[in-house]
Amino acid sequence: MKKFKLKKLKMDFLSSSLLDGKSSKSKINFILNKVRDGSILVMNGVLSSEEEMELIKETMRRVDDGFPGIEICSLKKQTKGWKQFFEVLSERRVKLQDFILQSLTGKSAKKSLKTGLTLIGPAKIIKEIKKNPDSFSVWAEV
Amino acid sequence: MVFGRFIDWIRNFFRLRQDISLGIYGCTSVGKTTLANRIAMDWAGEEVGKVSRIPHETRSIQKKEKIVIESNGKKLRINILDMPGLATKVDYRKFLKYGMKEKTAKIRAKEATQGIVEAIKWLNHVDTVLAVMDATKDPLTQVNITLLGNLEAKKIPVILVANKIDLKRAKPNNIKEAFPQYPFVEISALNGKNIGELYDAIIKHARKAG
Repeated sequence: MKKFKLKKLKMDFLSSSLLDGKSSKSKINFILNKVRDGSILVMNGVLSSEEEMELIKETMRRVDDGFPGIEICSLKKQTKGWKQFFEVLSERRVKLQDFILQSLTGKSAKKSLKTGLTLIGPAKIIKEIKKNPDSFSVWAEV
Repeated sequence: MVFGRFIDWIRNFFRLRQDISLGIYGCTSVGKTTLANRIAMDWAGEEVGKVSRIPHETRSIQKKEKIVIESNGKKLRINILDMPGLATKVDYRKFLKYGMKEKTAKIRAKEATQGIVEAIKWLNHVDTVLAVMDATKDPLTQVNITLLGNLEAKKIPVILVANKIDLKRAKPNNIKEAFPQYPFVEISALNGKNIGELYDAIIKHARKAG
């Protein structure tokens, strides 16, 4: 019988509280350092769309022969009606706080992760992600 | 009625005095340059850039400025900005499959990553965006979701463009159903099908950002 050598796959499951106290830049650095080391991160929270775009931008700056980039997928908690209204209101409040803090101190506010689920991993390992509105499937190759 | 026409005339007059930067965004190989060429050829008689089957053909922002488009008697002056395709990964090995030499492939990959960074930076400078998606593919990619989320956060008007409807396997309704909150047009940039509807939508929804 042919013997297969098992290759290892490292997955890090992170609590949102691990990133909650960090600025957007620190969060992105933390994520990319882990992913560049070959880890697949699963977090119980989602980055804002601005942070996700920054993550893509920063990933592109770090792409080289051994690191072609990342695969990312997130599921945001869908809110409707009054809950959605209060969520929008809360986001506006955070943006206002951020603006005031930045104007006064020049520092960016530390944003909390939104409720949801995110998977980020090296594109070298994750070959495909198929997303549905409420779930996603991942194909990886070690 | 006369007053309404007068208001329309005033609105048109001021819209023509302002150039609207129309960014064409989307993933790689969705037909952004084909669309930019179609618009530029229709209204200026010149193409914007080269189209290729190899991904990341557009690696720097390509512009065609001061194009006046017209629909239903209304005019709008636009600057077309054909953006490099957005992606979360760029692997030079992919280009080798198209017969490229390793050195050339690595240069292309490097230029592609720089192009993506530039395209993201330009999100702060465009007035309106045509978010182009390939109607033959799954629209629920993280790049599409992130792009639309960013545009919403920046309050930049978006028109969703489902491209490649000339292909039999195209399912433009999947895009419409995935993102029902945006103005939507299904077209073939290649053969020009429904392109008039896109011009109507641009005239209707495009405006200066901020």
